[in-house]
Amino acid sequence: MSLLCLGLEGTAHSFGAGVVSSKGEVLSNIWHMLSPVEGGIHPREASRHHSDMGPGIIKRSLEDAGVSHSDIQLVAFSRGPGLGPCLRTTATMARTLAQKLAVPLVGVNHCVAHIEIGCLESGFEDPVTIYVSGGNTQVIAFAGGRFRTFGETLDMALGNMLDVFGRTVGMRFPAGPSIEHAAAEGVDYHQLPYSVKGMDLSYSGMLTAAKKLHLEGVPVADICFSIQETAFGMLAEVAERAVAHTKKNEILLTGGVARNNRLTEILKGVAERHGARFHRVSPPLAGDQGAMIAWTGILQHQAGDELPLSSSHVMPKWRTDEQDILWR
Amino acid sequence: MKILKKQLLTLGAESAIYIVEYWGMTLALKWRPSKPYVHNEIDNVLRTSRTSRECKMLTFVRTLGVPTPAVHSVDISNHSILMDFIEGQQFKQLVNTSSKKKITSLCHEFGKLLGIMHMRDIVHGDPTTSNAVVDMQSKMWLIDFGLAEKNATIEMKGVDMHLLRRAYETTHWALQETMLESTMEGYVEISGDDAEAVLSRADEIRERGRYH
Repeated sequence: MSLLCLGLEGTAHSFGAGVVSSKGEVLSNIWHMLSPVEGGIHPREASRHHSDMGPGIIKRSLEDAGVSHSDIQLVAFSRGPGLGPCLRTTATMARTLAQKLAVPLVGVNHCVAHIEIGCLESGFEDPVTIYVSGGNTQVIAFAGGRFRTFGETLDMALGNMLDVFGRTVGMRFPAGPSIEHAAAEGVDYHQLPYSVKGMDLSYSGMLTAAKKLHLEGVPVADICFSIQETAFGMLAEVAERAVAHTKKNEILLTGGVARNNRLTEILKGVAERHGARFHRVSPPLAGDQGAMIAWTGILQHQAGDELPLSSSHVMPKWRTDEQDILWR
Repeated sequence: MKILKKQLLTLGAESAIYIVEYWGMTLALKWRPSKPYVHNEIDNVLRTSRTSRECKMLTFVRTLGVPTPAVHSVDISNHSILMDFIEGQQFKQLVNTSSKKKITSLCHEFGKLLGIMHMRDIVHGDPTTSNAVVDMQSKMWLIDFGLAEKNATIEMKGVDMHLLRRAYETTHWALQETMLESTMEGYVEISGDDAEAVLSRADEIRERGRYH
């Protein structure tokens, strides 16, 4: 018999609710992203956004799935990592629902959820995952019972670097799509700091250098083009190092920045060279949303995991490799 | 260059290694092929600078007493280096088959070699157990110096130690504590009082990239 799980995501700028069945059918997936007219994301404003929008999004998600409250047999929520105020708001909604509906509660790791929903969509069994968003830049693979971070940024996330540069030249948050658009018009490549350390990378030097080019009057299109080529080239190298090191033959690209076509093209090249399969998670499942939380909640629950309300505190610094992955 | 026999040994992230017979010896040829999916200018700069850097660093750290393959010739325009082939096993593989005592002593040695380099302000840049080879006499050799740098700051050394710790975490999770401990002992044995600043920086670096 199929079980229905409601998943709530609210680690950073987006709040989402999705209903997924234990057969892996995504019945609904509604989310809303806070997009300030100017400036970046403030944790308090984001948590306010979640508490304002949350109830309506949950309601629409149930309607969209064609189910009622009483059909939900499991509630899952993003327990971490993320911004404390956002996590707490989301957890409060999840606890209330679980209690009201008298169903079990499951706390899901946000990064693990990105990987699992990607595996569901692609049919991949054991990929090297490139997870790139506004808050995260990680190369993750499964080893010894856990998802382990083989490489990550040493300073800022790829998406954050793009957003901050975009803000400097007057683009709205999130700036990734505008940068990709501008880069397509770029002609001249300007050298930017290429900083790879083993399987880690660093983007802060590149940001400073790109801002400097802007002050010097280099056309924005050329800077965007140079940023993309350099930043994605670095990511390709660490991905390649992870594939060579782990000898895995699947590469999964996910997170908000997975929408970028140039990044996808580069990683396809990496996969081809190493004889690996490649999948980019489709936009509705690549960003921060509830379906990934619901699906991972089901996997956890089926492996016997349940979170008592009394110990369901959020974990803002929850590392990907701190959770035993019982279902794999 | 007249190569009699050429056989692909490994395809790494940025290079291919061939075993070649040359001058009556068995040597390793490391070649950095172009990556068509990366912007041409970036690709060329990296292939050239890393080939030249690796060649220099292999030779320089040797003079400090760190065992590295001797460089026989380099072809910058073809991005290739001809060097000694170290007959032995990757440290990474040895960890799976060796006794705890042997692993501990190899880790100790690994830590000492990194300590020697750091004391002379050199970082390896990718200090994983894939980049150490242990020969038949149990002697440890370091390879893969394409990301090595000189004039290293505390920050750069901290990154080196952070990478090493992470390599243990991801690849040798069951033994990571013991391995880290022995490596640190070897490292501190060489770098003495200088170790503390580097190791505390490494802890700081570990926490930095994540959003809290």
